[in-house]
Amino acid sequence: MIETRSLPTDYVFKPGEIKTSSGKTLRTDEMIINMGPQHPSTHGVLRLEVVLDGEIVVDVIPHIGYLHRCFEKHCEHMTNYQQVIPYADRMDYLASMNNDLGYALAVERLLKIEVPPRVEYIRVIMSELQRIASHLIAIGTYGIDIGAFTPFLWCFRDRERILDLFEMTCGARLLYNYIWIGGLSHDLPPKFVEMAKDFCAYFKPNIKELNDVLTFNQIFVKRTANVGVLPKDVAINYGCSGPMLRASGANWDLRRDDPYSVYDKFEWQPEIGKGEMGTVGDCWDRHIVRIREMEQSVKIIEQALASIPEGNVQAAIPKRIRPEPGEIYIRTESPRGELGFYVVSDGTGSPYRIKARAPSFVNLSVLPEISRGSMIADLVAIAASTDIVLGEVDR
Amino acid sequence: MGSNGTMIRKKDLTIWQKTYIPEIVKGLRLTISQMFKPKFTYNYPEERFKPAASFRGRPVLAEENGVERCVACGLCSRVCPALAIEVQASETELEKERYPIKFEINMVRCIFCGFCEEVCPEEAIIMSNEYLLVFNNQEEAVFGKDKLLTPVEKLHDRLEFLREHR
Repeated sequence: MIETRSLPTDYVFKPGEIKTSSGKTLRTDEMIINMGPQHPSTHGVLRLEVVLDGEIVVDVIPHIGYLHRCFEKHCEHMTNYQQVIPYADRMDYLASMNNDLGYALAVERLLKIEVPPRVEYIRVIMSELQRIASHLIAIGTYGIDIGAFTPFLWCFRDRERILDLFEMTCGARLLYNYIWIGGLSHDLPPKFVEMAKDFCAYFKPNIKELNDVLTFNQIFVKRTANVGVLPKDVAINYGCSGPMLRASGANWDLRRDDPYSVYDKFEWQPEIGKGEMGTVGDCWDRHIVRIREMEQSVKIIEQALASIPEGNVQAAIPKRIRPEPGEIYIRTESPRGELGFYVVSDGTGSPYRIKARAPSFVNLSVLPEISRGSMIADLVAIAASTDIVLGEVDR
Repeated sequence: MGSNGTMIRKKDLTIWQKTYIPEIVKGLRLTISQMFKPKFTYNYPEERFKPAASFRGRPVLAEENGVERCVACGLCSRVCPALAIEVQASETELEKERYPIKFEINMVRCIFCGFCEEVCPEEAIIMSNEYLLVFNNQEEAVFGKDKLLTPVEKLHDRLEFLREHR
C-alpha cells in the first residue's frame, strides 16, 4: 500500500525537518528542480519550478512568458481592425478558427452588423472541425506524455484529414486567416460539404478505436484516474473553463449557456465528468470529456452540413471598419475554454485597446493547487491534462 | 490527490493487474491490425505534396510580356500586418506610367496571410504554390524583384481561383 500522507495547507519550506504522518521527524532536504522550458511534456516553453520532497511534489511555480509576443500591444499599432486577424490566429495556434471567430464576433458587435446565415453556418462548421483537431492533439500528446505512442500517430492521421479540408477551403493548414470581420475570405469549395460528410463518417469509428487503445486501457486508467483531482468549487474559484471545468462536474458550456453564432439551432449537449474511473474531476475525466466532446462536435457538424443555406459570404464585409467609440466583451467557447475578447474603440480605424482572456492562462493557474502532494511522475500527467497552449498563455 | 493535500490512492494491485499482459495484448492487436491498412504518409523527398489552387504559398510578382504588372501603388506594403513589403515607385514610358524600381519582400517577416494579394488592384502580387523556402542568412531572405518575378502563365490556376471566389 502506498503510504498516505498529508501536507498541511500552510506548509512552510523548512529544510532538514519534516514530520511524517506517523509523527516521526525525518531529516530530509527539499529539492528545487526546473521542469522545462525544454521539457517535452510541458507542451511548449513553460518552466515549472518544482519543490520536491523526495518524489512528492510540495509546490509548483509556473514561470511563463517565454513566448510573449505582445499580442495586445501589437493590435493597437495596426492600421486597421482586419490586420489583427492573422495575429489572433497565432494566439492559440492549434485552434486558429476559434480565435478568429471570437475576435470577428467582437468587432461585428461593435460595428452592429448582421452577417448572412450561410456565414454563420460555415463558421460553426469550421470552429467545430477545429475543435476536433485541437482535441485530437490534446489527446494524442496526452497519450505520449503517459507513454502511449501509437494513439499520438492515429490522432495526427485523423487531424490531417481536417487540415486537408481547411487547406482546400482557405489555403493554409495551420494559420487560416479565414473568418473575417463580417464574413469569410472565400466561399466553401464545391466538394467541401461532401468531403466533410465523408470525414464525419470516417471519424466516428476512429473514436471507438481510440477509446479501445487508450481511454479504457488499464495502464492509462491507472496513470490518470484519481490523479490531479480538481473539485468543482476549486475549479470555479480559479475561473477554470472549458473541458477543465466540465470534467469537474460543472455543467457549463458557453455554446449552450450564452449562445453565439447559430449554436442554439443544433441538437447537442455539453459533456461533463462523472468520475467513472475514480473521482469526479481527475485527469481521466478531463480526457474522457475531450473524447466525448469530439462526438458532440461531429453531431453539430453533421446537422450544420445538412441545413447549410445558400448566400453570398462576402455580402456583409464592411468597406471601411471604423466602429463608433465604445467597448465590447465577447466570450466564445474555444477548445480550451472561455476565450474572451475585450475591444475598446475610440472611433478611429485601429483598435484603441484589445484584451484577450485566454483560457489556457487561467487554466494553468490551477496547476499548483491540484498537483501539490502528488508524485513527480503524476505532475506530467496533470500538466498535460490541463491542455495548455503556450502561444495562448503568453500571447 | 485531493485539493486538501491527502492522497486518495489506497488500493493495492493484484498480481494479474501487475502483469498488465491482457492490456498489452489488446493494445498490440490493435496496432498490428493497422499494419495492413493503406499508408497515409508521403515518402517526402521523392513524393511531393501538390498544393491545390487555394494554397497560399510564397507571394510572387506576376510578370506579363517581360514587365511586372505592379504599378507601385504601395497598398500591399500598407496592408501587410508584418511590415514585410517595401516598395519604391518610379516613372516609366509604358502605359501604366509607374513601376516599382525596388520591390522587396522580407520572407522572414512574411506570415503568408494573403492580405497583399487581396488588396492588389492589378492582380500583380499573387500567392504562388511554392512552399519550400530555405535561406542561409537574413540577407538571403529578403527577396528582391529578381526572385519575385514569375511569368503569369505559371500562376494561371491561382488567378482562375481568385476570379471565381472573390
